[in-house]
Amino acid sequence: MLRPIKHLRSIRAKRFLSTCESYFPDEPKAPILKTSTIPGPKSEQLNNELGEIFDNRATYFVSDYYNSKGNYISDADGNYLLDVYAQISSIALGYNNPELIKTAKSDEMTNALINRPALACFPSTDYATILNEGILSAAPKGMNKVWTALSGSDANETAYKAAFMYHHTKRRNGDFSAEELESVMNNELPGASDMVILSFDKGFHGRLFGSLSTTRSKAIHKLDIPAFNWPKAPFPSLKYPLNEFEAENRQEEDKCLQEFESIIKSYNGKVAAMIIEPVQSEGGDNHATPYFFQQLRKITQDNDVLMIVDEVQTGVGASGKLWAHEHFDLPSPPDMVTFSKKFQAAGFYFSNPELQPNQPYRQFNTWCGDPSKALIAKTIYQEVVKHDLVNKTASIGNYLFSNLKSLAEKYPILNLRGENFGTFIAWDCKDANERGKLLLSLRNKGINIGGCGDYSIRLRPPLVFEQKHADIFLSALEDALKEL
Amino acid sequence: MATKYFPNEPTGPKVVQFPGPISTAKKESLHKVFDSRATYFVVDYKKSIGNYIVDVDGNTFLDVYAQIASIPLGYNNPALIEVAKSDKMINAIVNRPASGNFPAEELEETIQDLLAVAPKGQNQVWSGLSGADANELAFKAAFMWYQAKKRGYATAFSTEENDSVMKNQSPGSPELAILSFERSFHGRLFASASTTCSKPIHKLDLPSFNWPKAQFPSYKYPLDKNEDANKQEDQRCLDIVEDLLKNWKCPIAALLIEPIQSEGGDNHGSSFFFQGLRDLTLKYGSLLIIDEVQTGVGATGTFWAHEHFNMSPAPDMVTFSKKFQTAGYYFHDPEIVPNVPYRQFNTWCGDPARMILGGAIGKEVKSNDLSAVCKRVGEYLYGKLEALQAKYPTYFQDLRGKDRGTFIAWSFESGATRDKFLTDMKQSGINMGSCAETSIRLRPTLVFEEKHADILLAAIEKVISGY
Repeated sequence: MLRPIKHLRSIRAKRFLSTCESYFPDEPKAPILKTSTIPGPKSEQLNNELGEIFDNRATYFVSDYYNSKGNYISDADGNYLLDVYAQISSIALGYNNPELIKTAKSDEMTNALINRPALACFPSTDYATILNEGILSAAPKGMNKVWTALSGSDANETAYKAAFMYHHTKRRNGDFSAEELESVMNNELPGASDMVILSFDKGFHGRLFGSLSTTRSKAIHKLDIPAFNWPKAPFPSLKYPLNEFEAENRQEEDKCLQEFESIIKSYNGKVAAMIIEPVQSEGGDNHATPYFFQQLRKITQDNDVLMIVDEVQTGVGASGKLWAHEHFDLPSPPDMVTFSKKFQAAGFYFSNPELQPNQPYRQFNTWCGDPSKALIAKTIYQEVVKHDLVNKTASIGNYLFSNLKSLAEKYPILNLRGENFGTFIAWDCKDANERGKLLLSLRNKGINIGGCGDYSIRLRPPLVFEQKHADIFLSALEDALKEL
Repeated sequence: MATKYFPNEPTGPKVVQFPGPISTAKKESLHKVFDSRATYFVVDYKKSIGNYIVDVDGNTFLDVYAQIASIPLGYNNPALIEVAKSDKMINAIVNRPASGNFPAEELEETIQDLLAVAPKGQNQVWSGLSGADANELAFKAAFMWYQAKKRGYATAFSTEENDSVMKNQSPGSPELAILSFERSFHGRLFASASTTCSKPIHKLDLPSFNWPKAQFPSYKYPLDKNEDANKQEDQRCLDIVEDLLKNWKCPIAALLIEPIQSEGGDNHGSSFFFQGLRDLTLKYGSLLIIDEVQTGVGATGTFWAHEHFNMSPAPDMVTFSKKFQTAGYYFHDPEIVPNVPYRQFNTWCGDPARMILGGAIGKEVKSNDLSAVCKRVGEYLYGKLEALQAKYPTYFQDLRGKDRGTFIAWSFESGATRDKFLTDMKQSGINMGSCAETSIRLRPTLVFEEKHADILLAAIEKVISGY
């Protein structure tokens, strides 16, 4: 009697085994709270010790990554939190994903770690294959080349360099002049460029000097750092819910488009490229409609301005498409798409061969990327495809959104956004103070969650976030909102 | 150590055909997706071992370039293989943390391992991802420090600063400069490229900050026969630095310099010159940043090259990358940490996988005293090169790097001869690199020993004697 039943159960279990369960059979069923507040005493103590040698003032809690699992991050006190922040949106497949562990333990990985090549001079025999089977298989529509870098800032800055060199080469028609060769060594025109990159109000594109000059999210990111005096355009402020404000929002977008066009046409100097996030993430999860992005693409093409789409935070599946800009159905692909974070590898995609400078050693550095990260990116992409994680994220996002919408009828969940945009969801709180309280209260209920902008909360779970996790999150959120 | 690490290291190079057909084909196919125009040859890293790099055609080269001076302990070093396979490494790779927000329990230990080899006088470190990144993070620290000095470390930002900075305008985005030197190389991102001054090709068509350049001494060689002239040259350059610190159109927050200008031609400066810089930066309230990206981690015979100069007090920041595999800057003044969090910040704040590797490299170098090995081998190599110089003076101009371990370079009459020499050396089984217009530089690993030096020297003499 028992045998067939057991057999039946195992079949049933198998049929209903989710991707998350297949990766993480031991994932906690719910948050586990060992201390009444987080950070707990051990976390506090370790953080104080760490503070002697590391700027620890931004620490949420000290983590135990060995014991973290799937959607749950473990801390030094043995708490397990459901993590919908996921290392500032940079964990793709959950903690300790067995497939990534396999890759990390492979001979290829060992080789990539300990024999790190100067890739452009001495590429490894398998680098083309690693790129082709991983990063390039994942390329957005219309892109077939990549330049690899090390971080989101680095990816954006190498894209800017490509943009500047592209435009100058087109204008020059031949060799560098003696005057250019001489003046550039004094950081002066004409060898140095007076072209600019245009970005948008509230955009975030990194914190090195070129990328920081395009970052416009918060003063604290920028204060005291010399910057290029580059122009910025307004990003639309849409009214929510979108379907109730279609006319107003269209007007707002048209206004921003006009201003954008007027800046690039009247700018005293050449705008080499514009950079924009599909959703302004650090700046508050600000969305614009496909119409806005389609028009931007037309205007950039008509005015010979390159379009760089910064998918550092939005890329790799969370929006319900592999690349968020694929939601926009652009009339032609962007010129460059930058990536980092969840992909672990960083860089920019492109297709126009003229975005490779006319000579070698111009877009160049010692390492030109990191094969160990390219290997991880390859596994991430292959797993995303194998388990259809993009579509799953789209559908779990819809579930999450509709439940949040219901909660918004009862509680102060303002300007809920990210409908049909996977789990890339955010909303506003009444003010920064209330946001702070809500984030803290959720953490003490076992949810690790992050803010963005001045008073918003953003959801950034990994791609293995499923309905059961959504339910736990939603119920904790409702409790926290009730207590406010 | 080479024998202990690599019992199966080849006993010499072997050139089958160079450039080989497989390498050429693979270079072309890589170029379809990744710019490979700078490729020397395509490498089989799994077969490379110790001081020998093996290409896909089965050519085996003695490697004295070592991935542009970035392989510390030879290819496939067993101690590093062990670290790469450790649980700590696997954990760091698959669970890469946003260390500023969610530091790992083991982060402190990881950082302590980097601090264990900190330059004298430094006790803090901030991690980055590359040399350019390390330098730019150091610039940011310098600018924030400079403004905090003016404003008061604990003083809040003014409304005007908060507003103007969002438009990239002063006073929030202040006009401040980093002073660097002609012929220097500090990286290729926008601010680091603004301090780089080695070759136009590194800089052309990029917007740059209009920051000043001082002159780096150009010595007459041999040093011991030109002491007076070189001292005068030091003073001439120090006077230029002082003039810029006093009179540049905006304040100079920091002075940035390599202990040996590497990409720019292996240009050396004396202890007198570096102490002079230290004194001037103190006098004018600027920070001194030493860029040890290429010179650091043992190759000059001390762990950090600037330790040869015995500067007092210690420099304010020391940047590193390359051979350390991890990148960042060391410092010691607590006010180099900005006054509030999230100012020196980014998603990852370094890469624990690379930091762990850096810690392990530091331990291997220390416990096997590989800096001393470099010193010893360097003396041997330099002596033999001096002998060759006496024999073939035209091909060994301005031999430099005495008492600087294996960090040795010399110049040719012309770029054309130099380039021919490099090609001929490859045919003889030596992978070697150039710097500046007419120089070659030796950048072997720290496990390069007398027997490797003998192979290198024999190949050099064979090639040169044919000219």
